[in-house]
Amino acid sequence: MAVFDTPQEAFGVLRPVCVQLTKTQTVENVEHLQAQLRAVSDSALQELQQYVLFPLRFTLKTPGPKRERLVQSVVECLTFVLSSTCVKEQELLQELFSELSACLYSPNSPKPAAISEELKLAVTRGLSTLMHAAYGDIILTFYEPCILPRLGFAVSLLLDLAEQEKSKQVKMAALQCLQVLLLQCDCQDHPRSLDEREQQQLGDLFASFLPGISTALTRVITGDFKQGHSIVVSSLRLFYKTVGLIMADEQLGRISKVQAKPAVEQRVAELMIHRAAEWVKNAGDKLTILIKKITECVSVHPHWKVRLELVELVKTLLLKCSQSLVESAGPLLKALVGLVNDESPEVQAQCDKVLRHFADQKVVVGNRAFADILSENLYSLATSLPRLMNSQDDQGKFSTLSLLLGYLKLLGPKVNFILNSVAHLQRLSKALIQVLELDVAGIKVVEERRWNSDDLSASPAASAAEPWNQIQRRYFRFFTDERIFLLLRQICQLLGFYGNLYLLVDHFMELYRESVVYRKQASMIVNELVAGAAGLEVEDLHKNHIRTSPEELREIVKSILEEYMSQENWYLVTCIEAEEMEEELMMKQSGLQAVTAGAHTCQVTSFPALSKPSPTICSMNSNVWQICIQLEGIGHFAYALGKDFRLLLMSALYPVLEKAGDQTLLISQAATNAMMDICHACGYESLQHLINQNSDYLVNGISLNLRHLAQHPHTPKVLEVMLRNSDASLLPLVTDVVQDVLATLDQFYDKRATSFVGVLHALLAALARWFPDTRQLQEQSFGKVGSHLSQRPATLEKGFENTTAEDIEQFLLNYLKEKDVADGNVSDFDNEEEEPSVPPEVESDMRPDVEPPLPVQIQIAKNVMERCIHLLSDKNLKIRLKVLDVLDLCVVVLHCHKNQLLPLAHRAWPSLVHRLTNDDPLAVLRAFKVLRTLGGKCGDFLRSRFCKDVLPKLAGSLVTQAPVSTRAGPVYSHTLAFKLQLAVLQGLGPLCESLDLGEGDLNKVADACLIYLSAKQPVKLQEAARSVFLHLMKVDPDSTWLLLNELYCPEQFAPPHPSLCPVQLQGSPGQQNPYTANVLRLLKELQ
Amino acid sequence: MAAPILPPPLPDPQFVLRGTQSAVHSLHFCRGAQGQGHPLLLSGSLSGLVHIWSLQTRRALTTLDGHRGQCVTWLQTLPHGHQLLSQGRDLRLCLWDLAEGRNAVVDSVRLESMGFCRSTVLAGAQPRWMLAMPGRGNDEVEILEMPSKTSVCTLKPEADAKLGMPMCLKLWQADSSPRPRLLAGYEDGSVVLWDVSEGKVCSRVTCHTEPVMGLDFDSQKARGVSGSAEKALAVWSLDEQQSLKACGTHEVTNPGIADVTIRPDRKLLATAGWDHRVRIFHWRTMKPLAVLDFHTATVYCVAFADDGLLASGSGDQRISVWSLYQRT
Repeated sequence: MAVFDTPQEAFGVLRPVCVQLTKTQTVENVEHLQAQLRAVSDSALQELQQYVLFPLRFTLKTPGPKRERLVQSVVECLTFVLSSTCVKEQELLQELFSELSACLYSPNSPKPAAISEELKLAVTRGLSTLMHAAYGDIILTFYEPCILPRLGFAVSLLLDLAEQEKSKQVKMAALQCLQVLLLQCDCQDHPRSLDEREQQQLGDLFASFLPGISTALTRVITGDFKQGHSIVVSSLRLFYKTVGLIMADEQLGRISKVQAKPAVEQRVAELMIHRAAEWVKNAGDKLTILIKKITECVSVHPHWKVRLELVELVKTLLLKCSQSLVESAGPLLKALVGLVNDESPEVQAQCDKVLRHFADQKVVVGNRAFADILSENLYSLATSLPRLMNSQDDQGKFSTLSLLLGYLKLLGPKVNFILNSVAHLQRLSKALIQVLELDVAGIKVVEERRWNSDDLSASPAASAAEPWNQIQRRYFRFFTDERIFLLLRQICQLLGFYGNLYLLVDHFMELYRESVVYRKQASMIVNELVAGAAGLEVEDLHKNHIRTSPEELREIVKSILEEYMSQENWYLVTCIEAEEMEEELMMKQSGLQAVTAGAHTCQVTSFPALSKPSPTICSMNSNVWQICIQLEGIGHFAYALGKDFRLLLMSALYPVLEKAGDQTLLISQAATNAMMDICHACGYESLQHLINQNSDYLVNGISLNLRHLAQHPHTPKVLEVMLRNSDASLLPLVTDVVQDVLATLDQFYDKRATSFVGVLHALLAALARWFPDTRQLQEQSFGKVGSHLSQRPATLEKGFENTTAEDIEQFLLNYLKEKDVADGNVSDFDNEEEEPSVPPEVESDMRPDVEPPLPVQIQIAKNVMERCIHLLSDKNLKIRLKVLDVLDLCVVVLHCHKNQLLPLAHRAWPSLVHRLTNDDPLAVLRAFKVLRTLGGKCGDFLRSRFCKDVLPKLAGSLVTQAPVSTRAGPVYSHTLAFKLQLAVLQGLGPLCESLDLGEGDLNKVADACLIYLSAKQPVKLQEAARSVFLHLMKVDPDSTWLLLNELYCPEQFAPPHPSLCPVQLQGSPGQQNPYTANVLRLLKELQ
Repeated sequence: MAAPILPPPLPDPQFVLRGTQSAVHSLHFCRGAQGQGHPLLLSGSLSGLVHIWSLQTRRALTTLDGHRGQCVTWLQTLPHGHQLLSQGRDLRLCLWDLAEGRNAVVDSVRLESMGFCRSTVLAGAQPRWMLAMPGRGNDEVEILEMPSKTSVCTLKPEADAKLGMPMCLKLWQADSSPRPRLLAGYEDGSVVLWDVSEGKVCSRVTCHTEPVMGLDFDSQKARGVSGSAEKALAVWSLDEQQSLKACGTHEVTNPGIADVTIRPDRKLLATAGWDHRVRIFHWRTMKPLAVLDFHTATVYCVAFADDGLLASGSGDQRISVWSLYQRT
């Protein structure tokens, strides 16, 4: 807060100090004055301005050598006064200006005086403050021609400082001061903005300084990067502000042809410049050189703020001086465009903003000259692009392509001018094709196999929000930087967005067709073109740009799809097996064997290729990529068309699904991704949903392709995938296509059985899934109500505790009666009881002679089972195995319809027995599984057959194998023999139970399994054997008990009544043998 | 997308429509609602349903259920308005209003004959149109004026003609004459030309030994074709004096032709065979061009669209759609 508010008070205080200073000019006195000044209010000081300034100016003007320190403090004090007051008199302003600038130079040379940095700083700051202090009106009168010499001198001094000075502070101050001097200051408290006439006046005046300022600043700007970014930033700002003022189109347009005679003396008049057309042209030319230097140097400046300022420079110059600096437009635009992809987001954003602004103002599009320049630039870039792509490193490519991208952005719809020139389109496409060349040398591509045969479960929701942007990692021959690929994609998208899509797609599809060398690149480009045309991810700088209409887009996509999915472009050789189709079909099977087999053959063949990739590997890799790219394209197209793509699914879904089942990992991945994309784009919840909703289209493809199986060997695979992913609602469709499948299978039993068996398996699995057995489920939920096991021990226990002679008598009587019944002497009474159990008439309104039509799924299962009977004895083991699996499922599906199942089972039996008794162990294993299922589903029917045909062999093999497994080491558990033993042991129990075997057969089973209760057997086999006995206990607990006790008897049996003689069992109690442990455990279960 | 134009070994349909879930007994192409130019295909099935298929999405748009589960034997749309006629074995001819997504029976005509004979209409731009259908008597044909349902006349052959039941009908009107004519194929294998306004027989030609199953007539060339249960296809012509003359017969491999249709451009003839096959002939020369072997059961009907698309419906519950010689 100022202490002295009125001039009078202030004067009282200041007077002595001023007088003192005038008398003796010392630093102390100056400082004293400054100290006093601080206590004076601004308004008071304004009144006393002249008075206070006098001693200070006097000090400066005093001739003779002055101490720098003094001058500096005087200048500082002066600056202080000026900062709080304003200069209202023209003369004072001029004088102060001269006096201050005089401090900077030595009288004898035009160079800045060798004075201290502090002083320089003080003076430059003083000058800035002075100019700011000048009162509005007088500042303009200051810039009269007559000031030109003095002003010019100051400018050149300041430029010298900015350029030569070491201190950064001084440099900055000098630059700022220059900015002020040239009335381009951007601080807030600057006088009002100038009107046109005043600007013109300044422009006329400053034109004289243009050469000096521009060259000096250029030197500063293009100087060492190490000088600090702020200096470069300020210099750039000063440069464009000055140039922008002097070369402003607005002013130049008003310059009269003839120079008006200025009313000044000759010396000054010579310095004046008339900005006539010729001068402008000259200046423009010279500036172009400088601007080119600047843009080249600054666009690679490491500091982002500098580059940001460059954007500003381009903006100002292009907006203000588009005509006068027309020659520079090229480099300026280039600089701008090159920064579009700057690594600094601020620069990018600003660049974008400027570009948008340009587009809004139609700076480029509305200005023919600019558009021409841009086109010219793009022409020449397109021309040199192939060469540049060839010779540059990644960084170089990156900036070149960024430039290309920028041009495209800026030109917008005008890009068609270039595309319409065949020569340039060819150049451009050549470069793109060349740089996008993939590296297909690696062998991984072909080698990687798909392991999981049904991985379609992934839901699209799991992937990211912009899944179409995710792309499989590619390896390019000519670059490694991912960003370059991104740039290339953006370029293609922009081309698609602004360019004539028909023309472009046509051109690139031409290349696609032309040679296999271009094919991959061309399809990559086409994919992006379409994505771009749909406006995905493209930010439109040019409003009112007419996009490709959805109908056109759909037509284009349709034709591309046709090309992609044509026989010769879609069914490429991607693995070695495919060359021998026959072989491949043998190998091909879903499931583990097929996979290992496939991988194995591939490895074998690729071993020699390891040392030097053979052309076949390369071409197969190339094919793999080709398909992947096309698949990816389909995903793009789906996004481009959105729900419209649904209509194309009728032709596109089938081929994609086919590829989803491809053995090559990359292809199946790409296909799955494409399907995800389709899900997203067309609004399906999941892949299942997609497949389910479009099964009719798939079935159409499948059924038509089945007619040409030789050309479409993968058709069954598609059906398999479809079946796996559909639900019961599709039964009618499935029924329809199954007719075709079976008909085709009947035609090709010998050749293509493998793939069909896979389909049949999927089909039956689907049926079993769609129509789960409700009865069985109920039974399971109720649990087994009462088994023999839970009833019997009760009576036994009771008998042991407290047995009387009557009890024994009753027991015997009961026994005899039961025996009687068992022998067939059944009383009528019993018979009557059984009668009601005859099943009641099912449907009353059904005509008695007509059976109700079978459910469709039963018919299918029946038809399939018939085929299985034929195929059970196929030469190929793999087919036999698979058929056994199918048979198993058939039985499951059919088991409620005994009338259908039993005759079929009867027909299948001989063949099944053959598998069980006379086949590869693997087949035996599966056949046994079928047998178990069959036993479970139609027990009685099989009993006698089983006992006659199968049981002896099974028992025999168990007995003969037992010694082997006793002796075997730990590795034995990995052998097939072991697995077989285990399977038989595990299966026999349930079989015995479900078949309800008679006593003699049970004994056979028990005898064969007893050996496995030995502790010497592998643990797992012991367990399995115990399970057999547990089942036997359910069927016939008494004889099992006896049998076990024969083996090992844990205790002596005391007769329940003295009249009975004691029992002696074979297994004597206490005597340990290998069976002890298992027998004890089993007996515990029995009690 | 376009199916390859009959490559030598096994021509494929362009696509197959599934989902009728019963044998397809009648087919009819029509243009879709105005504004959306996609053509529609109508199919009538054994189970009494009429399916309306969009040929763009290849899916059923709607199902019409109006014949109480009895086979739909004939379908025809009327040129004015979006009206559909369907004939069912429930002895009803239904008139459906299909405009603006409606699908309701607006009128029906009771049929008196249990036979297989399909009806026929003669409809121009006028609101009145003519309907010919099998009549009450075994051998009669009933002519009605629609939509008033007033009987115009009953065409009853002379007692000694022994034509048997009418099997197929075709109403037409020569450009030169205002009098409508009716061509009828009879059970005894003869084709008869009736003058409807006078209600008398103009001409009769016996070209088959078995019942005539289907016939079609090309009024420009004044030539017609008929197929019967036997192996032969008969071509006959109509001369200036309005008399029918047999022009010749064309043997096919297997007996039984359920339907014959001439393409609207009068270049091709298609027949539906009991041998599961559709045969294509050059209509002018009667040269056999192709055998379309796709169905696995009797083909009951064939139909051509205005743009030349061919559809065939069969007992295997499928409708196959073929694109044949589109260029010619």
